[in-house]
Amino acid sequence: MFHRRISRAGAPVAALVAVLALGACGSGDGGGGGGGAEDAGPAGGASTAESLRIGIMSEEGNLTPHTYATGFPGLNLTMLSYDSLMQVDENGQPQPWLAETVEGSADGLTYTLSLADGVSWHDGEPLTAEDVVFSVDYYKAGPPGRFATAMGNVTQAVAQDESTVVLTLATPDPSFEIRVLADVPVLAEHIWSGIADPDVAPFDESTNVGSGPYRLVESDPGVSYSFEANPEYFRGEPKVDELVVVQFADEAGATAALRSGEIDTMMRSISPEQIDVLRGTGTLDVVEAPEYTTTLLVFNTAVAPFDQAEFRRAVGLAVDRQRLVDDVFLGAAVVGNAGWVHPDSPWYDESVETVHDPEQAAGLLDDLGLTDSDSDGIRELDGAPLSFELLVASNNALRMRLAELIGEQLGEVGIGVEVSSVEMQTLDDAVWPGYDVTQGRNYDLAMWGWSAASQADIGQMASLVATDPALGNLNVTGYSDPETDALAAQLDTELDPAAREGVADQLQQRIAEEAPFVSLLHPNGAYGYNPSVFGDWVSITGTGPMTKLSFIPDDGQP
Amino acid sequence: MLVVAVSLNFALPRLMPGSPLALIAGVEVGEMTAEERAAVTADAGLDRPLVVQYLSYWKSILTLDFGYSFRQGTPIEELVLDRVPWTLLLTLTALVVSGVIGIALGAFAAWRRGGKWDVSSLAVMIALESTPQFWLGMLFIALFSVSLGWLPSFGATTAGADLTGLAWLADVAEHAVLPVLTLSILSIPAVYLSMRYSTLSVLGEDYIRTAQAKGLRPRTVMLHHVVRTALLPVTTVLALRLGWAFGGTVVIETVFSYPGLGRLMYDAVSARDYPVMQATFLVFTIAVLLANLLADSLYPRLDPRVRV
Repeated sequence: MFHRRISRAGAPVAALVAVLALGACGSGDGGGGGGGAEDAGPAGGASTAESLRIGIMSEEGNLTPHTYATGFPGLNLTMLSYDSLMQVDENGQPQPWLAETVEGSADGLTYTLSLADGVSWHDGEPLTAEDVVFSVDYYKAGPPGRFATAMGNVTQAVAQDESTVVLTLATPDPSFEIRVLADVPVLAEHIWSGIADPDVAPFDESTNVGSGPYRLVESDPGVSYSFEANPEYFRGEPKVDELVVVQFADEAGATAALRSGEIDTMMRSISPEQIDVLRGTGTLDVVEAPEYTTTLLVFNTAVAPFDQAEFRRAVGLAVDRQRLVDDVFLGAAVVGNAGWVHPDSPWYDESVETVHDPEQAAGLLDDLGLTDSDSDGIRELDGAPLSFELLVASNNALRMRLAELIGEQLGEVGIGVEVSSVEMQTLDDAVWPGYDVTQGRNYDLAMWGWSAASQADIGQMASLVATDPALGNLNVTGYSDPETDALAAQLDTELDPAAREGVADQLQQRIAEEAPFVSLLHPNGAYGYNPSVFGDWVSITGTGPMTKLSFIPDDGQP
Repeated sequence: MLVVAVSLNFALPRLMPGSPLALIAGVEVGEMTAEERAAVTADAGLDRPLVVQYLSYWKSILTLDFGYSFRQGTPIEELVLDRVPWTLLLTLTALVVSGVIGIALGAFAAWRRGGKWDVSSLAVMIALESTPQFWLGMLFIALFSVSLGWLPSFGATTAGADLTGLAWLADVAEHAVLPVLTLSILSIPAVYLSMRYSTLSVLGEDYIRTAQAKGLRPRTVMLHHVVRTALLPVTTVLALRLGWAFGGTVVIETVFSYPGLGRLMYDAVSARDYPVMQATFLVFTIAVLLANLLADSLYPRLDPRVRV
């Protein structure tokens, strides 16, 4: 009966031009989010529409659970046509959805789900417990992927009757609800049982059958998609009748089309200087709110002196986060916390302080014996200048500016930084070769970021810092510390919500102390839209308004 | 020649840093175990020795079966064939427009060599030649789409509009205006310069002086004697540009989000979609080689003097 929380990585991921990237992912992904109504920018406008034209900037392939390309917006678009057993609400907490009730056993090994009544597939067939069981087995037997991984911990799924399913887990998982139940789309057995090779499933009449608020009726990957509302949707008729999704090559093209009235909104957070520009047009508005997406300064802890916590902490102290937010993001970002967790998260530990203090940083460096003996302004390490290359993805102008400012700020305390902008793929290859931390790393300093999902599931914090690659699968800094490991393991297994919160607090404090990376800031989500067409957005804390919740009527919200 | 080019097409994607793994496996690649990763790689045939991959690459070319895009799970021939007509529409129209205008302006400038028109048009052409494509394209979008609202700024058709017949044609034409305009304007200088130079050299020939001495009107001399001869080298320029027509639109198609081959290549490169990269590179290679062949075989027919 433990609490619902959080999902492993994944979800809104970035991506500029690029499809890639759980990792180095580029500029504002994820969503702008509802992080609390008091933060939300003005949002409003028509609450229903006949047609809404949405711009995207990444190539998405066929929008099925097996063939979508990016986490954001690809998976968000796919989930317009599908549903999961639970659904996160505006606060980011999983709530009953296809499953009307969710009961976890005390040992965390069994979940009993009873399905909502009267849910049917787009072709009219009823959605039953058999479909859920089929989905579990189908994902497990299918090619590797997000949902196959999610199902890895489920050993058995049994349909007790038409509407009751019992899932058995191999090991207890405190994040099971948010990570699995609120994430994995349920598939129609009568459709997918006939598809042997889901990876190359084409778009046609048979593969576009889901249970979601929209049915995909036209798919031209690389160009456009059309969705039609499902008037029989079990949570009520969707607010917009038709969604037309158009793919642009870049943000400039999409912004121009938004301004010329050719599209009505875009699934890409706009750059900070565009916010006032769009609002200034008089016809457009921007829905703006904090989001969980992170922007980090990471270092290779195998390279001296990054192997010493004092040195890493000094780097953190030397960075003026508030200035980064003000100068580069024009205030449209939230200062990163030394303990990693976003201040809007329910898991945030307020006692963790984030300080900018170059003098203290200089003191720490002096104590480490890193002094400037030749008076050139740069300290020396064993006679060689204390200088590092800072890698940054060239497709991300904001991060390039951040890198330059950070270089200046570190220079002020005597650490030399040379900024190198490289192609995103090259950056991935240096920081996270093969997307597998066991393959090592080949960099000194880099600008990095994780998607909003890395914060939405507090369990994800463990994957950033744990030494064991099975748990620390996102530990791209190669950081290793026994005390941190113990806390990370506890966070991953503690079923009692109150106890888990205590562990999460301790881990945040440990991260602030050890500085395995520097969390710089969280860019706010900012989505331009035309309020005369549609503006009734529903934001999810930290992940933003670009999900199906925005199109589900008020009385059908989770 | 072809073999070398085709082999390079195979090597280039693999020489670039970065891996298509995330593309194939999806964004959750970091969540996967080593075994799952290996399974994904094996599935895509990327674990095979390079020699084997190379041979199968040749096989795919010879059988014209390029396999599936990593990204879209769609057969590549389909992807490419879908895109080719759009690219041809842009480039052929632009080729005709820039050819006609460039030839006319170039001939006229040479005729009035040293005159006001010649000097000013030459300056404009040189300025245009150094104008970046994306800049002019964005300028047109800002002007004709955003400010004036006259023309669509992106795409080849109106998405979700379901038009047919004449309405569809009009829609396509409307969407093609800005990209074609940009492409044409920027292609004119090359034609203009080559036409101007070639006209000038013809004007110095003895037979022109003869024609003038016969008392023919300057206009007649120009049209019947000069331009016809001067066009010969320009034909070569145009034929070669035809080859580049497939590859030269990457920037334009990106700026206008136009679903042509250039866009396909651009997206494939950004995502390291090896099979699509190989296939689009191949199309460009073949187009350029064919255009060279065309220019080589066309010229002797037009100009008997060079026949051996």
